[in-house]
Amino acid sequence: MTIIDAPPSANYRLSFGGILRSEWIKLRTVRSTNWCYLIIIVLTVGLGYLVAGTIPAPSGAGAGSHAAQQAAWVQAATIGVSFSQLVSAVLGALVITSEYGTGMIRSTITAVPTRLPALVAKVLVFGVTTFVVALVSLTATALLVAPLLSAKGIHPDFGDPAVWLAIVGGAGFLALIGVLSLSLGAIIRNSAGGIATSLGLILVLPIVLSILTAVTQANWARNLESFLPSGAGGRMYAYVSGTETAMPAGIVVLEPWQGFLVLAGWFVVLFFVASTLFKRRDA
Amino acid sequence: MIEAVGLTKHYGEKIAVNDISFTVRPGIVTGFLGPNGAGKSTTMRLIVGLDRPSAGSVTVNGSRYSQLHAPLHEVGVLLDAKAVHTGRSALNHLLAIAATHHIGRRRVNEVIGITGLDSVARKRVGGFSLGMGQRLGMAVALLGDPATLILDEPVNGLDPEGVIWVRTLARQLAGEGRTVFLSSHLMSEMAQTADHIIVLGRGRVIADAPVADIVALAAGTAVRVRTPDAARFAPLLQANEAGISTIEPSLLEVTGLTAARIGELAAEERIVLHELAPINGSLEDAYLALTQDEVEYHAGGTDNA
Repeated sequence: MTIIDAPPSANYRLSFGGILRSEWIKLRTVRSTNWCYLIIIVLTVGLGYLVAGTIPAPSGAGAGSHAAQQAAWVQAATIGVSFSQLVSAVLGALVITSEYGTGMIRSTITAVPTRLPALVAKVLVFGVTTFVVALVSLTATALLVAPLLSAKGIHPDFGDPAVWLAIVGGAGFLALIGVLSLSLGAIIRNSAGGIATSLGLILVLPIVLSILTAVTQANWARNLESFLPSGAGGRMYAYVSGTETAMPAGIVVLEPWQGFLVLAGWFVVLFFVASTLFKRRDA
Repeated sequence: MIEAVGLTKHYGEKIAVNDISFTVRPGIVTGFLGPNGAGKSTTMRLIVGLDRPSAGSVTVNGSRYSQLHAPLHEVGVLLDAKAVHTGRSALNHLLAIAATHHIGRRRVNEVIGITGLDSVARKRVGGFSLGMGQRLGMAVALLGDPATLILDEPVNGLDPEGVIWVRTLARQLAGEGRTVFLSSHLMSEMAQTADHIIVLGRGRVIADAPVADIVALAAGTAVRVRTPDAARFAPLLQANEAGISTIEPSLLEVTGLTAARIGELAAEERIVLHELAPINGSLEDAYLALTQDEVEYHAGGTDNA
């Protein structure tokens, strides 16, 4: 029996490129990844088709305007995002919490004892993969629903950059929600706890604030909701043509880029906490 | 080469490892022995940086584990056979870990062959038996062709064939000049595998010596004597201050005399011996003698003396 069959073992060394490849192998070799991405694709395309098929032909004053038609198109293309964000959040949390649940994290950390590169690689690999999957399915949906809408008298204008900005924004939103949830998972280190906290932040908290707004009519509650991850991030895939009607005084409406910055801020803060704990805690 | 100096680990109020210092040398198999809760696993986790020491330090080849440029090439670790995502196949698990260090597919296939996992490599780890999980753990440990191997309870859950395989492998790796550090609670197993033993009790090193010295510590090492003349031989041995227990009419267990002395006595008296053998459990006796005051959780009312 040979232990060493003359491997080029002198070339074995830890590198960030290697860690990225390792995380890529890990991401695509568990079933939950394929299921979650499949659900995102089906939700995006399916709901887009459903909305485009049932959307009423424009009527009323200004309904035939370019902006209203483009907004209807973007709405149909991105209708799945608000559901896909939950899937992205669940998968993001699982990427790290399943390692804690199974003990895999100990193999990960013994291979990468400096630790931080492993967490960064997880965020990059999962974030980029989610962005690409989301971008492809959103773009496909936009293209697929266009003929359906044309039949109803809504004529998509493919040359409108605001539409493609919203599509890219939707993909970016799903990726950011995913890595934000991954950071929460790294802090909580438990699948059930990580998913619950993440969904609480992006799903339950906005509902609570909406109810509060409805009951008290308080502007602060409504404005606070705009700065939560889903509220701020939701602006990233909104169609903004510059012809929107003005909001009442005291109500904050973020521009898409501001929404992006707020959501990115949420991620940066949570990732900072996660990486500090990840480096320091016993595994 | 593993060197621990004043290594200490507290978990809250509880002291798991209490100011221990030891050196594990290359070229030999060093056993790490101690009752459950003695701190063996904690010490091994401290070596590879999974836990941070509360005080003291431990180095591998002169560096802290986290400062190594190729950790898996310097140190192969089997800490926990279940440190694997259960939804992934054994092959993908190995490929993912290998990728971090640019270890190629060829070496992955090689360790799968060495550990006998060929037939199950593409199956999901969740369905593995404890023994197969241990083999996968060994495959991960060997992956980087490491100069030092740290194996926590490597024979746990293995069938007899697997136990012999680990024993042979450990000896072979040490023979190649590598440092082999393995823990076990199977004391008799240690006698056959290790050259040197470090005994840990309640977080402290209570013995650090070659196997022979540890065995010699055993008070009243027993020798098995089979003779058709047991009835005549027993009183003779007793006259030489030996302790005798009769197992069968022709089989005695003798304490207080060495096998050599018993053989001499038999020759002098022209007594035929069919068997004269030091009993293998002697290391166990030594171990129990060493650790009886150190066992964290005594079974109720049993006296090991």
